[in-house]
Amino acid sequence: MRLNQDVLLGLFFTLTGLVGGLGALSYPFGSASRMGPGFFPIIIAALLTLTGLAILFRARLASSLPVEAVMWRSVVIVPATIVIFGLLLEKLGLPLAVFLLLLGAATASLKFELGLRAALGAALFSAVCAIVFVKLLGLPIPLAGSWLPLAG
Amino acid sequence: MDIFDGLLLGLSTATTLSNFAYCFLGVFLGTAVGVLPGLGPIATISMLLPFTFGLPVDTALIMLAGIFYGSQYGGSTTAILMNLPGEASSVVTTLDGHAMAKQGKAGRALAAAAIGSFFAGTVGTLFIAVAGPLLASMALTFGPAEYFSLIVLGLVTSMVLTSGSLLTALGMALFGMMLGMVGTDVNSGFARYTLGGSPNLLDGLDFVVIATGIFGLGDVLANLQNEHTRSAGVAPVSRLFPTREDWRRMTAPIMRGTGIGVLLGILPGAGVLLASFASYALEKKVSRHPEQFGKGAIEGVAAPEAANNAAAQTCFIPMLTLGLPGTATMALMIGALVVQGIQPGPEMLTQQPTLFWGLVVSMWIGNLLLLLLNLPLVGMWAKLISVPYRFLFPLICVFMAIGVYSINNNVFDVYMMALFGVLGFFFRKVGAEPAPLILALILGPMAEEYLRRTLLISHGDATVFFTSPVSLGILVVTVLLLLSILSPNFRKVRKEGLQEAD
Repeated sequence: MRLNQDVLLGLFFTLTGLVGGLGALSYPFGSASRMGPGFFPIIIAALLTLTGLAILFRARLASSLPVEAVMWRSVVIVPATIVIFGLLLEKLGLPLAVFLLLLGAATASLKFELGLRAALGAALFSAVCAIVFVKLLGLPIPLAGSWLPLAG
Repeated sequence: MDIFDGLLLGLSTATTLSNFAYCFLGVFLGTAVGVLPGLGPIATISMLLPFTFGLPVDTALIMLAGIFYGSQYGGSTTAILMNLPGEASSVVTTLDGHAMAKQGKAGRALAAAAIGSFFAGTVGTLFIAVAGPLLASMALTFGPAEYFSLIVLGLVTSMVLTSGSLLTALGMALFGMMLGMVGTDVNSGFARYTLGGSPNLLDGLDFVVIATGIFGLGDVLANLQNEHTRSAGVAPVSRLFPTREDWRRMTAPIMRGTGIGVLLGILPGAGVLLASFASYALEKKVSRHPEQFGKGAIEGVAAPEAANNAAAQTCFIPMLTLGLPGTATMALMIGALVVQGIQPGPEMLTQQPTLFWGLVVSMWIGNLLLLLLNLPLVGMWAKLISVPYRFLFPLICVFMAIGVYSINNNVFDVYMMALFGVLGFFFRKVGAEPAPLILALILGPMAEEYLRRTLLISHGDATVFFTSPVSLGILVVTVLLLLSILSPNFRKVRKEGLQEAD
């Protein structure tokens, strides 16, 4: 079977349906008049599995569109820097974490050059973020995180 | 309370200095972010959500609504000037709007869109004021069976109206319902799919986080795929005021578009989308010069923009009166309201009349602000549009990351956004539209609760859905909708109409 859009999507639905259904088997099912926590999940998971199988079946019958080649660079870099932002936000404080996220995410673009201009722009924007979100909007995010000696 | 008392109450709420100021700020920020290419209303609202925290409830709702139609309008500006629709419902606007822009008539196209939107917004707001209370009092008589049928109708409509196959849309809706089950079951207190009781999952997946990930981050990832092919040509804006000929040509289309939009906007599902397509098709049919459509006919801009905006107003009706979102954007609005501690529903009108009427009046003020803001500032928006994407997307990531963090002050939400961003990208790659998923995520838990209550009352007898006349009527409409897809005629229209321009 060729890897096309329908095959991938069908597999995704079938697998999540199966995992969801198996997970719900251990929840009390109850009865129709007293639905337990497992009642609805099992029905929906079964329908999801069937839908996934139907899409797989359709993929065999008619040719679906091929999946375009993925340029992995940005798909990896952007979510990864966001996760790093999450890891560092409370440790380094908002301005530094924003600075790193800006420069990190920007490297996902093919046209990005790390230079003084990019660093200055990122620094400026980090300062603006700190002022707007922490000072003006009063969000409870530390300006200097727990790793920095300034914290306290 | 009759409508006039309500409107007076609303007027006094909406015109307090702070509410007016936040309405203005919401419309302004919403437009500013909405014009940025590749940012639809959902990404815009979730990015700007932190700005509404810490505000009183009525002010927050007014500002959120301002952001919503600001972004909606900003999207049409981008569609006209750059041929880049921010969301599916402005696809139609690109057809004639961008054609006009290429002929040097960008200003007149923008003016037609703004005037059409303002008129439609005014009528739409009046319609909410009249129909909202009626529907809310009707909704108070609805039992769980009627609500369950309404939810089914909403889900089916959203599936019918997405591009791509019905089977794919069904899978997306079911997957969204599965995601909605994560967390503690409200009825039994049983923890479901929490990976061994992880405290981050016990409260369920945050709706705003998932929407931001799938729509906002997913769009960023998708846009970065074709960085090289993005054309950044922004049409120049000249003369802004429509000519006498323009006025003559667009008056009737605006009226017709408004009528279509007001009615279709109430439909759960994707009323906004359907409204703009339907009004475009109608204008093409009644026009004496159908051959001009697609080549810069001003009717083809004015009518769908009016329909679009009228529907954007009236799609608040199911949300405000039933607590059921009609579109993915409304689902996000409900998510934002829940963050604020409000559960929209039929009781809202009687228990918090200031909130309801304040919103209605501020919607009209917001539309007026849009008209006043957009025409003079259009040069500034055009500059914003031409900022290259490689400068924009890191900023978008920052706003989204701070936005989701600030909902619960929990970094776990940031990780979830990253995860769902990748998932959203995957869905785009395999040609699955995420709108039904988002809608099902918020409707799923409601569906389970109403089903449970219905069956509890009827002692497990499911025929109750067909013996209640209201519920039966809703289900009949649902079946008719499903049957209509199978008819070859509708199939053709749906295929043409829902062709996404990306």
